[in-house]
Amino acid sequence: MRRMSCLQKIVTAVVLIVALALFMFPVVWMFLTSFKTEAEYFSYPPVFIPHDFSPRNYLNAMMLPPDGRGGLQGLRDSLIVALSTTVISMSTGSLAAYSLSRFKTGGENLSFWILSTRMFPPVAAALPLFLIFKELKLLDTHWALVIANTVFNLPFVIWMLKGFFDDLSSEMEEAALIDGCTHWGVFARVALPLITPGLVATSLFSFIFSWNEFMFALLLTRRSVRTLTVIVPSLVGGHEILWGEIAAIGTIAIIPGIVLSVLFQRFLVRGLTMGAVKG
Amino acid sequence: MEPLKERFGSLAHTIRKRRTAYLFTAPAIITLLAITIFPLLYEVRLVFMSWELTTNAAPEFVGLQNLIKVLFQDSRFWSSVRVTAVLIVLGVSIQLGIGTGLALVLNRIGRWRTPLVSLFLIPVMIAPVVAGFQFRMIYHDQFGPLNYIIEIITGGRWRGFAWIADPNVALFAILMTDVWQWTPFLMLIVLAGLQSIPLELYEAAEVDGASPWQSFWRITLPLLLPVIIIGILIRAMDAFKLFDIVYLVTGGGPGNVTETISFYTYLQGFKFFSLGYTAAMAFIQLIIITLIARFFLSFQKRQRGET
Repeated sequence: MRRMSCLQKIVTAVVLIVALALFMFPVVWMFLTSFKTEAEYFSYPPVFIPHDFSPRNYLNAMMLPPDGRGGLQGLRDSLIVALSTTVISMSTGSLAAYSLSRFKTGGENLSFWILSTRMFPPVAAALPLFLIFKELKLLDTHWALVIANTVFNLPFVIWMLKGFFDDLSSEMEEAALIDGCTHWGVFARVALPLITPGLVATSLFSFIFSWNEFMFALLLTRRSVRTLTVIVPSLVGGHEILWGEIAAIGTIAIIPGIVLSVLFQRFLVRGLTMGAVKG
Repeated sequence: MEPLKERFGSLAHTIRKRRTAYLFTAPAIITLLAITIFPLLYEVRLVFMSWELTTNAAPEFVGLQNLIKVLFQDSRFWSSVRVTAVLIVLGVSIQLGIGTGLALVLNRIGRWRTPLVSLFLIPVMIAPVVAGFQFRMIYHDQFGPLNYIIEIITGGRWRGFAWIADPNVALFAILMTDVWQWTPFLMLIVLAGLQSIPLELYEAAEVDGASPWQSFWRITLPLLLPVIIIGILIRAMDAFKLFDIVYLVTGGGPGNVTETISFYTYLQGFKFFSLGYTAAMAFIQLIIITLIARFFLSFQKRQRGET
């Protein structure tokens, strides 16, 4: 690459700083709001920096109505749903991905059918799932959300892991087979450990997709299960908007995403395109 | 006898391999089938029924009536189609434009690139609901920072809009939220495409006397095109389903100027409880998304074939 002139360097820096400021502003604003008092966020001209960084909004948010544990319940339910979805998708998905990659099971058609289930519009799936779960008495349970989220996470996991297995040379696995290892043994003791970084990144993606999921949480659960994503709008709705508390919940809710973006940057392209583009 | 035994051995081996192949895929396929086929069948059945939960009337078979009503008699449905189309076409174009610009800049810098990309990508990883809440604060007509900044820039002559309540700008408010959230995604994809272009191509072009402008049009753009198309298709499919941001920022209003197809379907199903009608709308969306998805998949297959 040609070296940049001094002027070009300055222009580049200015463009990047302005763009970064614009893209960071909403996140920073929410973070700052999470420490403001009501007098501070309902003031004009707006207060930018709160006068102290006491965690009172975070503590209040944990004990929100209706039953005085809104935020805590949200954290618990989001964690249960996201973790269960990830465990189910990863355990069944990794096996399927290995089989699709190594044995070409079902050929390209099966792989693409799996991928196409991910494109389903959630709103189209919501109504029949609602009616079926109602019959099965699964509404307002963790299972409802885990099952619904699995529809979208399992295809994702299969495609991501298939990509990682495709990139892996099969020589070591063949050697292990000749040494008398079973296919299961090869899968569990040779192939899986070799794609550990890919496994971690894929799990994190799967976790975040279901952590961020909103529509199913809104429609399939009501009182006994309330994830963080349904607590946020339920508080915005009232005429008395608890901005400080919502901002605190929002700040907590974006932590997993930031971790993924910072620690696993090299897998982001793949993860966000389901392997269609390899970064 | 030796070769025969060997052949039997390999036959047994093949059978074992086949069996493993299907055993490995079975749990995932069965799970997927179970959770997609039943809802799908249920939905298709509903398309032909009239079933209003609000009236207590028993569901009855009405044939194609729901589909005809959606397509030919429901102006609100077509209004939601228009809103969705604006968000897809305008939104994705703006995202692609800014995203490509940023990617070109980021591609030129060295050691700062990695941390900067991580920061830029944060909006993509945030729950859309939380992004919606952030913009709801920003758009607030009295206490929001956006109107404050507008007032400062115009020297107090103009105090900005009531972004969410004004029917002339509410859709723009939704659009900007979506642009904020997804521009970094296209930036990332274009950047990945840029970095996969071998530097030798540019060097060769320079030796042949090509201007930077020419190398951009003749090398960068053609090689980026497949990646850009994939990015656009993924974004179009996502924007087609836009719901969370609308729910949070405007709730479809004022009136129904920001109602997307997904949002209107949600209203029909879960506020008005017209189950058959909702199923008909869902069915139409399913067909549209299947068409886009098919295009996406066949494009991807072709790309794979070429590389």
